[in-house]
Amino acid sequence: MTTYTICIFTENTIGLLNRITIIFTRRRINIESLTVSETERKGVSRFTIVIKHESREAVEKLVRQIRKIVEVLAVFGYLNEDVVYNEIALFKIETPLGAKPLDIETINNQYKAWVVYWGLDYVVIEKTGTEEEIFTFFEYIKPHSILEFVRSGRVAVGKTEKGLVEYLPEAEWEYYL
Amino acid sequence: METVSVVPEKETITEEVKLITGSEALMRSLVAEGVDTIFGYPGGAIMPVYDALYDFQDQLHHILVRHEQGAAHAAEGYARITGRAGVCLVTSGPGATNLVTGIADALIDSTPMVCLIGQVGKSLLGTDAFQETDVIGVTMPISKWNYQVTNADEIPEIISKAFYIAQSGRPGPVVIDITKNAQQELMTKPFQYQCCQTLVSYRPRLIPKQDQVEKAAELINNAKKPYMLVGHGVLIAKAEKELLAFAEKTGIPVATTLLGQSAFPADHPLYAGWLGMHGNYGPNVMTNECDVLIGIGMRFDDRVTGNATLFAPQAKVVHIEIDPAEIDKIIKADAPVIGDAREVLNRLIPLVQPNDHTVWRNEFRKYDAIEEEKVKRPALAPTTEKIKMPEVIDLLSKKTNGEAVLVADVGQHQMMASAYYQYKRPNSLITSGGLGTMGFALPAAFGAKVGDPSREVIAIIGDGCFQMTIQELGTIAQSKLPVKAIILNNNYLGMVRQWQQLFYERRYSFVELQNPDFITIAKGFGIDGHTCNHREDLSASLDTLLNSDKPYLLEVIVEKEENVFPMVPAGTSVASIRLE
Repeated sequence: MTTYTICIFTENTIGLLNRITIIFTRRRINIESLTVSETERKGVSRFTIVIKHESREAVEKLVRQIRKIVEVLAVFGYLNEDVVYNEIALFKIETPLGAKPLDIETINNQYKAWVVYWGLDYVVIEKTGTEEEIFTFFEYIKPHSILEFVRSGRVAVGKTEKGLVEYLPEAEWEYYL
Repeated sequence: METVSVVPEKETITEEVKLITGSEALMRSLVAEGVDTIFGYPGGAIMPVYDALYDFQDQLHHILVRHEQGAAHAAEGYARITGRAGVCLVTSGPGATNLVTGIADALIDSTPMVCLIGQVGKSLLGTDAFQETDVIGVTMPISKWNYQVTNADEIPEIISKAFYIAQSGRPGPVVIDITKNAQQELMTKPFQYQCCQTLVSYRPRLIPKQDQVEKAAELINNAKKPYMLVGHGVLIAKAEKELLAFAEKTGIPVATTLLGQSAFPADHPLYAGWLGMHGNYGPNVMTNECDVLIGIGMRFDDRVTGNATLFAPQAKVVHIEIDPAEIDKIIKADAPVIGDAREVLNRLIPLVQPNDHTVWRNEFRKYDAIEEEKVKRPALAPTTEKIKMPEVIDLLSKKTNGEAVLVADVGQHQMMASAYYQYKRPNSLITSGGLGTMGFALPAAFGAKVGDPSREVIAIIGDGCFQMTIQELGTIAQSKLPVKAIILNNNYLGMVRQWQQLFYERRYSFVELQNPDFITIAKGFGIDGHTCNHREDLSASLDTLLNSDKPYLLEVIVEKEENVFPMVPAGTSVASIRLE
């Protein structure tokens, strides 16, 4: 199984998420993570969808089908080495009286994670990094009793020198995969 | 959305003073778009539009169907013969869901259609109101585009966008869901209509890239045994003349897909036949003999390829196609050319060298002789007591000189209509290819006749199919248009029965029909007709049908257990084609 990051630029209209996910559903491709936000250009949304698939050909076909959606401006399928990517994770950690204290120095220096909220008997730690880095930290912090854990899903930018302006609005029939 | 600044005068309507309702804006938009016909059925949530239509009856010819599915197929028939989007107008809820089969059919067969659907008022959306269905959700996977209009001001822009998307690139159905408040309320600005000609996010490539064309030309010029498969895309692009010129210059034999039938004249020496599960012997087998396979405006459907991994493995593939998603979808293309079939052929013709390929072409003839001997001759000169389907189609072909439009339903009779009619004019076989929708033919034939009354339109229908949309006899009778229909009645769901015979050890599971008296039913609708039971009456029966200046129904009682051959069993190689 190879991890692919599909970046989709669309007009910002109602129902587009549904239109896009239908294409995954029909081909029985599971979505590992999904994020959506507006880009630097007003009215243009960016979807970042992470999938795992054994067939590059199937992913290429998926990308072409997504491109067919009328409101889709451009679609790019990337391998991990083609993108700079990160996720953000929040860990809600129990800190009852008498429990082993958190080693904040290690958390900060070794894991590059930060306490962003101090509750009465819990803290919220924010960790930014790749999925692997987040899970490494997860393993480290697990003995402290995790009350809640959430990941944002991947955000990614391609490593090419091109900017958004270079493929929009002149979205060419090119598939970067 | 981008609109163009220069708009032809007739397409611009500017009203300075009076503000109009959303319904009237819809009517004016349709008129501005050049729509002349609407297939529809009124109901609660679309009543304001029907009220506006009352004042536009002279410009917009509305045809009241008997079931919304009939409207959808009639719109498809209209679109397939005119090349312009067929328009449906129906109400919310059941009106919309009854369109669904037709919308799915139009998508898979690349048929332009605009479905205008009423919806409950904006304030009631999502409340399970009377006749509320999530039409956008339902039609999302089966439409090229859909949109919900919730205020009157949006109407002109969305309608122009709908027609542009439906008719451009690879055509398809567009669904516009219009809430009742948007139909009733006044626009807040003067009505103005501009035909949409470009969209930022939707840019179908019509003009091919020159390097792709050159690569294709090189493959074609070096080919020793080239072979062309042409599909519906040639008809959609109106590229028949260019195809003929290309074929005649290169001497490459041409086969068509089911929907590509009539894109190339059947009496032309370069015409090899049609291919697919029930296509001709040579055209199927030769896909595994050629060295360069040129697919034009077709999508290598599984009914064409059989087992795709065993389809033309030896050949280099040139794939000329407007939809980039079709490239490499089923068959890997060595030279893909993305573009409109006509634009591509126009650029390809000067680059290809004149050739003849006589020896190669003659190889097809060997297979033709075998098929003639084993399949066609026995089918056309049968010794059975009952009439056989091929005889009917063959005689019809001769009597109409191959110039009629056949609208075939789905099943054995469909395959016979494709195999035994000698199509001479483009857009002459209208049938449900991709979805295989039984009940398509009667309403689609009506729609085709409305679209081009100058052509003789004959529906070829099975007894099973006929009963799926039989109510459209009422639409035909009311219109008084001379639509002709032939029922090939074998009292069976024949194609399913054939499969049960060949692949399920004759276990005939629910395929025999107890049929009504079709002629009595037709007469009940006010349509004349008769039954032909004997071979000696067939010619006169067809004459009666063809000479009628009114709608006419001819029922031909045919051999009960006739099979369609050749046949490529599902999932096997085209080389495993069976002749008996």
